[in-house]
Amino acid sequence: MYRNVKTAELVSLKIDGTEISVPPDTSVIEAAEAVGVLVPRYCYHPGIPTRPAQCRVCLVEIEGQPKLQPSCKMSVQEGMVVHTASEEARSARRSVIELLLVNHPLDCPICDAAGQCMLQDYAFETHQLASRLNEEKLVMGRDRIADDILYFADRCIICTRCVRFMREVAEDDALIVAQRGYRAYIDTFPGRVLDNPFRGNIVDVCPVGALVHEDFLFKARFWDLDQTASVCPGCSTGCNVTIDTKENQIVRLKPRHNSEVNSYWMCDHGRKHLIMSNRGLRPEAPLLRRNGKLVPTGWGDALTWVAERLREVPSGMAIVSPHAANESLFYFRRLLDRIGIAGGTFRVERGEEAILSGFPKLQLRADRAPNASGAELHGFERFDGSARSDPEGDAVAVLEDPLAELPEEWGRQASFFLYVGNRLSSAARNAHAILPVTTFAEMEGTFTNFEGRVQRFHQALQPAGLARPAWLVLARLVSLLEDDGDGGAAAPTLASEAFQVMVGDTPAMAGLEWASVGLKGARLGSTEAAVLQAQAPVEGA
Amino acid sequence: MSRRIHPSVAGAQPFQLAERDPEAPLFESAEGQERLQAVLSRYPTKRAALLPLLGYANELHGWVSTQDMESIAERLELTPAYVWSVASFYTMYNKHPTGRHFIQVCTNISCHLNGAQRVLERFLEETGTRPGETSEDGRHTVIEAECLGACGFATAVQINDEYHENVTPERVPQILAGLDGNGS
Repeated sequence: MYRNVKTAELVSLKIDGTEISVPPDTSVIEAAEAVGVLVPRYCYHPGIPTRPAQCRVCLVEIEGQPKLQPSCKMSVQEGMVVHTASEEARSARRSVIELLLVNHPLDCPICDAAGQCMLQDYAFETHQLASRLNEEKLVMGRDRIADDILYFADRCIICTRCVRFMREVAEDDALIVAQRGYRAYIDTFPGRVLDNPFRGNIVDVCPVGALVHEDFLFKARFWDLDQTASVCPGCSTGCNVTIDTKENQIVRLKPRHNSEVNSYWMCDHGRKHLIMSNRGLRPEAPLLRRNGKLVPTGWGDALTWVAERLREVPSGMAIVSPHAANESLFYFRRLLDRIGIAGGTFRVERGEEAILSGFPKLQLRADRAPNASGAELHGFERFDGSARSDPEGDAVAVLEDPLAELPEEWGRQASFFLYVGNRLSSAARNAHAILPVTTFAEMEGTFTNFEGRVQRFHQALQPAGLARPAWLVLARLVSLLEDDGDGGAAAPTLASEAFQVMVGDTPAMAGLEWASVGLKGARLGSTEAAVLQAQAPVEGA
Repeated sequence: MSRRIHPSVAGAQPFQLAERDPEAPLFESAEGQERLQAVLSRYPTKRAALLPLLGYANELHGWVSTQDMESIAERLELTPAYVWSVASFYTMYNKHPTGRHFIQVCTNISCHLNGAQRVLERFLEETGTRPGETSEDGRHTVIEAECLGACGFATAVQINDEYHENVTPERVPQILAGLDGNGS
């Protein structure tokens, strides 16, 4: 929240009766947030550098100042006494809202932003009961801003957040305010649309329903959405996101603030591609090959049968997916160690890169998978060839790779083909056993991003059929294989337990804690324990 | 054709009038290049030259087209969208083609009191157009203008860059007839 603190000196001020000390370059609106006072704001956005102070809705009373001051622009000063909700401040705010409502269509019942609209919120807060407007409202219509974004000019309050996001954060000055005064509207150059790979963020910064994603238009009411903190699986950056779901379907992804990863933003590739995961054929029960046919079975029988077969596996190959969670990859490695398969490869889809100039840490990275680093950490290697060779007479074990690009007869000759995954491609159907596992959205777990940041995601969807998290299935298999009549070691039943087992057994992850990874993630090697471990060899010197 | 430039303007802005030619290239001509360099030399940044160049396009073509905005953006290293935002802010850059004679009838208070409304109506009648519309022969576009600053000579009418003062409805046909003679 605060910019770099260069000086140790803090400024003390009083906001709505609460004393607070903050760094000197803090604005009043930020300081107010620190004491729990959310001053209304439209043009101010913490992720956009400029503070034009043009919407006038954040006006506050500062003792000793002749006029109300915009709290977004005003820096804190020693001894300042601020009243954010004095009669004068509230009256000014009421006027601003009333003026904004003059031409606002009040089409809230059919507006995508209803329920998460800052105009609704502040109109509600200033409790304006009746309109004093007798004139007809100005009607401006709508426009296409991008292939996937529509602009409802009537709803726009010209806060220019979208324009300034494009200009200052995306550094692509392609969105502007056209005309002036009451006729002003947001526009692109005539005949052109926004094609910036980060354009979707203009919809997120819009405080009202003026900018809307066409693929979300009329899809869901905000209050019907379940929101789950997660990590975008679109590339190796691992942007922190919220997955919005309705009736067990993903409807949209929204960025979740993390100053270490994606700030307030995310790219359009990330927004789009996960929606597709609603589709596709999923295995919904364990399938075992009996007399040449795949037969659905319960989990107990399936795991016992698979464990028996795995005991006989002499050698083989392993394929994993960089979309699998750290915990799943860890237990898959354990299983492979147990049955004597070394190595293993994963294929990463590659794509064009894009960088958000104003926050260069946020990039759409070439690796279009969230957990290539995690797969490498657990001893799997990148596979760069065009097509995988057929296992022929060998055994093969697959974790979550859909095998979609492989020929139909791939793996048919394998001595044993175990498929632990969530897609039923034609190659996957050649398996002797198909164990259905959840996608990342249906489970809890962690991914390791491109720079070794371990980030947790939460369960957003109910699993398809009997699908279970891969780490749960694999841990159970491992413990069945280890069973020498004593029942074997207890398998974890919670993601947090699986995580701690993994951390205890993976030196690179030393020191990580499920709780401290929390919602913001933690870098490998950044924890106290890891630092101590790294320093350990120095002792002898 | 010689153009009369008011002496107070001529010294300061010697390059402020271009001969109307809707088909002429904006910068791919000797005159265009000269104009561009003259404008650029007057400002510390390229962006600052935006208004004069939009003005140049407006004088030369009678309006500012999207192609004009694109080529200005390219010359000034701005995005076309930014140029569009500025061009659309100012109402006096025409965003649609205009007739050879762009007739602006002042209807602000002084002119209004002196019958500007009837003058405007007469212009529209004589040219067979509605406000802002270009006549079929491409000769005339008539619009209502805000104060032209000639309140002492109401009704004031500006045709291209020439003023006609004390205009009455009766004088309108004569003024229109005079336009084609000298091209003004």
